[in-house]
Amino acid sequence: MPLVFVILSALLIASAVGVILFRNPIHSALCLVVNLVGVACVFAALEAHFLAVVQVIVYAGAIMVLVVFVLMLLNSKTEERTLSGVIQLVLSGIIGGCLVSVVGPFIIEQWPIVAREEPPISGSVEALGKVLYTDYIFPFETAGFLVMAALVAAAMLAKTKGGDPNHPRISEGKNDGTIQAGGEQ
Amino acid sequence: MNYDYSAYYVLLSLVLFTIGTVGFIVRKNAIVAFMCLELMLNAANIAFVALSRRVGNLDGEIAVFFVMAVAAAEAAVGLAIVIALFRNLETTESSDAMELRL
Amino acid sequence: MGAVLGIVIKGFLVQQVTLGLASFCTWVERKGSALIQDRVGANRAGTNLYVGEFLKTDVFLLKPFAFIVRNLLLRPAFAVFRFLGSIGVINTLLNDALKALLKEDFVPAGTNLFLHALGPFMAVFPVFLAFGVIPLAPDVQIFDTVIRFQVAEISTGLLFLLAMGSIAVYGVVIAGWTGNNKFSLLGALRAAAQMISYELAMGVVFATVVLHFGTFDLYRVIEMQGGSIANWGVFFMFPTGFLCFLILFIVGMAETKRGPFDLPESESELVAGYFTEYSGMKFLLFWLGEFAEIALFAIVLATFFFGGWHIPFVEFPAGEWWAALIGHAVFIGKVLFFCVLQITIRWTLPRFRYDQLMNLGWKMLLPLSIVNLIVAAAVKLSL
Repeated sequence: MPLVFVILSALLIASAVGVILFRNPIHSALCLVVNLVGVACVFAALEAHFLAVVQVIVYAGAIMVLVVFVLMLLNSKTEERTLSGVIQLVLSGIIGGCLVSVVGPFIIEQWPIVAREEPPISGSVEALGKVLYTDYIFPFETAGFLVMAALVAAAMLAKTKGGDPNHPRISEGKNDGTIQAGGEQ
Repeated sequence: MNYDYSAYYVLLSLVLFTIGTVGFIVRKNAIVAFMCLELMLNAANIAFVALSRRVGNLDGEIAVFFVMAVAAAEAAVGLAIVIALFRNLETTESSDAMELRL
Repeated sequence: MGAVLGIVIKGFLVQQVTLGLASFCTWVERKGSALIQDRVGANRAGTNLYVGEFLKTDVFLLKPFAFIVRNLLLRPAFAVFRFLGSIGVINTLLNDALKALLKEDFVPAGTNLFLHALGPFMAVFPVFLAFGVIPLAPDVQIFDTVIRFQVAEISTGLLFLLAMGSIAVYGVVIAGWTGNNKFSLLGALRAAAQMISYELAMGVVFATVVLHFGTFDLYRVIEMQGGSIANWGVFFMFPTGFLCFLILFIVGMAETKRGPFDLPESESELVAGYFTEYSGMKFLLFWLGEFAEIALFAIVLATFFFGGWHIPFVEFPAGEWWAALIGHAVFIGKVLFFCVLQITIRWTLPRFRYDQLMNLGWKMLLPLSIVNLIVAAAVKLSL
């Protein structure tokens, strides 16, 4: 087993467990950031360099900043640890462990470790771009439309209805369709 | 001569996916549940890249690319929904929004 | 083994360059602001502390050499220190660092110690990492080995810069959150919103630059700008290249959270914004990270738009050591120019209002950069 894989998988599993065990949402989010950067390292180890960088830009740089931003904005409280919660955690942990121990051997059997002669393909920008803009042009455009639609939907959902943006509950009145300065951006 | 360890990477992906699923079931905070979803998506991505390398074409990496696009869209809409939930119920716990109305 | 050693040495040297540039920016910030505001400024502190006291006392262990030590060593040193003190170097670089090191490291009650220490670290770390992909001079050939003045020779250098830029938000966010303080939190919220907003325009501008150069490799980008001055990035497809430069310059000032864009730390509203609760060396790390960011953006501008190490119409022979030396000097010269320009703007313009900041980012820079990208693509296709 290569050393890089051992280190990375230890980091990934530890941070993933951190995400679900930390009771403070911000600590969970920071653990997830570590996990996402670790996944980027896995991509780099698998010679998908473009995906590795895009993973950091999109996940760690955009999505998780947004999540942390919302967590700070809403000032999420630390979850209390109840007895039922602990029982849930233990039970689902046992079920998850069973799943891994059942499916795991099949995976090892399915893709045995082989030595290969030819160098593996590398996910360089040029190679990926060629495939993306020829074979996958239609899904690519569709994904673009999807992101656009999500953007518009998010803007509509998060918009305050006039009034004082700092007191969203007093916004039952008329809707003049403007976003106030310093309000929800 | 280099060896192909894709089975280990798929195994890692399985473990991460399971942890994500457990978190999604256990955690009550909607944003943390959303983060567990991201964990599961990423676990799938690792398997995609590892097997794409094994098979020898770039289709798996393209799939990862699309997963990232969908995750970005999902983050935008999901967080907007959480903000709307907070505005109406002043909570981010998914168990508090049980009544199918506001 | 040799390759690893080479990378370690290069990394060490590049870090020294980074620290040097950051120190230079600190000095320009202090002394330059004094010039701009018509103050005398930092001009005397520390002159006596380091040499003067020795000069007064008579405690020399080597009595016979006292005369020589005093006149040949201490007096010239004293003159040099007095000159450096009079232009503010000692005050800003030695005294401030010493003061920060000796100060109490105050941590607010009820916060997470680990995260509190992680904040300043994350503010500095990505910036220093980003310097690793910058090529500083043309290659040098010594016997059979070609030495490239770049720590990490990766083919996706430009994307790496973008990735490090987006990681840099975390330092600010963690710092603001662990402050346990409304002012810090507000500063962090403002910083996160501002940096994400301006990153969009930056991404589109980078796409335009890649469209022109056709590569993500920073060494190739600079190589393509050699020869005539018309090859420089600012002049490509005339209006588009210049617009790219303009947008990236504004975005750079917003990303460093300085100049007219310093809302996250606006001292008239938020005490000091996200680093309100930091003191001593941790505070100094934010300061250092900020100036390293200024230097990084100056380097990015010089790399993409002003030909890197190239002097217009002058071609150096490949692989010569003196060419690399001149290349370093030219590159650093361009970088220093942009550093000084950014600091001058920071001390000249008043702060934006928050809605002005958001409007500039979302309603002006982003549409402008997208139109710019489309025009550049159309021109590129028709050529």
